[in-house]
Amino acid sequence: MELLRLLVVLLVALGVGLALQWPALRRQPLPGYSQRAPFLGGGTPDSHAWNRYHIRYYPMTLLLIAFEMEMMFMYPWAVVFVEEGLVAVMEMGMFLAILSVGIVYAWREGVFKWQ
Amino acid sequence: MAVNWLARLAARAPVPVYPLLGIGGERALYQLALAERVTRVDSPRHASVLLVAGHVPAHHHEALKRVHDQLPRPFATLWFRSQALPGLESARRLDDPARLPDELVALHHELQSGQRGSSPRLLPDEPPNPWEGLGDDGHGGEGMMGGTPYGRPMAMNMQDDIRDGLTLDSLTFRLGPFYPLLPPGLAAEITLQGDVIQTWTSQSPGYPRTLDAVFQRAREQPVAIAELELARARHHLRHLYQALRLAGLEGLGLKALRLARELTPASRLDGLRRQLLRSGFFRLAALDGGVVDAETARCLGGPTARAAGIDADRRRDDAHYRRLGFRPVLGRDGDTRARWHQTLAEIEQSLALAGRAVAEGDLTTAAPGNAEPPGGPWRERSAQDAAGCLEALLPGMEWDGALATIASLELAEASASPPLGEASAEGPE
Repeated sequence: MELLRLLVVLLVALGVGLALQWPALRRQPLPGYSQRAPFLGGGTPDSHAWNRYHIRYYPMTLLLIAFEMEMMFMYPWAVVFVEEGLVAVMEMGMFLAILSVGIVYAWREGVFKWQ
Repeated sequence: MAVNWLARLAARAPVPVYPLLGIGGERALYQLALAERVTRVDSPRHASVLLVAGHVPAHHHEALKRVHDQLPRPFATLWFRSQALPGLESARRLDDPARLPDELVALHHELQSGQRGSSPRLLPDEPPNPWEGLGDDGHGGEGMMGGTPYGRPMAMNMQDDIRDGLTLDSLTFRLGPFYPLLPPGLAAEITLQGDVIQTWTSQSPGYPRTLDAVFQRAREQPVAIAELELARARHHLRHLYQALRLAGLEGLGLKALRLARELTPASRLDGLRRQLLRSGFFRLAALDGGVVDAETARCLGGPTARAAGIDADRRRDDAHYRRLGFRPVLGRDGDTRARWHQTLAEIEQSLALAGRAVAEGDLTTAAPGNAEPPGGPWRERSAQDAAGCLEALLPGMEWDGALATIASLELAEASASPPLGEASAEGPE
């Protein structure tokens, strides 16, 4: 009996959902071609606006990820640091040194200079 | 029922208006900006009423039709001191600036309540170029993208980037003459790579800008210095409004417009200056560039030249200005930021001169012809030359810096004679 009620509720919900999606109800006139063209204050485009260009902040994004990864490794390292002692410090030191080389290189290349 | 209720609510909302400015149309803009029941929108897609203010020359009618047809239905047009295009004979015309906000509200109300039908489309509703595919159903084609959608190629025309040589797609388009962030009438063909301008070719100079009638009178007879300087300060404040709106500081821009409307010799700029400093306007990165060389600065004249350190002002030749202790304010850097500092300094100077002239018994200019208009001397350069300056100045700049630079320059030619009825429109504010 309960299953039957559940089935009725399901069917009603499905029916309402489908009715709302009925194309005749959802039908809205498409905007004309003039409206679909990009607004250029009366001007016209030569090509589609879908183009590839250089997002200038992407080196900063990569650096942010590098620093984030560093922090991710440091959390488990902090847990074993007391047990492992000097070995852990040296291992983390090597890891940070390698990462720092990348940062120094990026600095030299002018990545931190906002364009 | 619900639709009626929504329509009534929509009719009561502020009217979204897209102002399309023709020759002498900017006066309507200032009135529109300060009207309470009207909202100025920057794209026709958000507008319910298209306000065509001022005369639009015939060679810009196609562009006007394109903007007209970009408003979503239902929409209406109001032609303020302008002749409606063929096909829109039933559109409303208006010449009285005082009635402008009321007419816009009434038009919007009629439109929302169904008393007025939507303005008809002027262009045929067909793709600007048909899809050019290879298959039977127009699908497929050459190259990675397949086909040429609506006749426009995908942006794959690679050019070397002028900033760092990274070769990527470039985007070429024509902007204007009714783009709201450019001076009215200015049109250009622009090639962008990302946000950097590769090339800028001016296609049409800005429309002549109608100055206050007092500047024209000052060419022919001595006029009151107080009146002249208040008109100058008003002009600069209105110019500042456009830049503040571009910077997203519309509230401050409206304050500048209100100050311009209520300007007297006793007015002070301190409050606005303080708010400008606090808002961070002068710290915007977009104001960094736009340095004009000495020759261009001399060609543009007026505050642009003085902001670059060029000591040129016709008022210095006037004996009565000298009696008031007038000396041109000079900047140094000649960039966009320097031009706005210069503008503020010149507004303050004009208010001080107006105050002193009143104290001296409403002093007039000593001789006609020495009262330089706010944008620079009369007819020293044409608007075509001024728009041509942009072709050398803008390539290499980022889009925001380029728009900020254009906003800071007085590119439009000063118009000596106001369009029909314009003098009465300006009148006592």
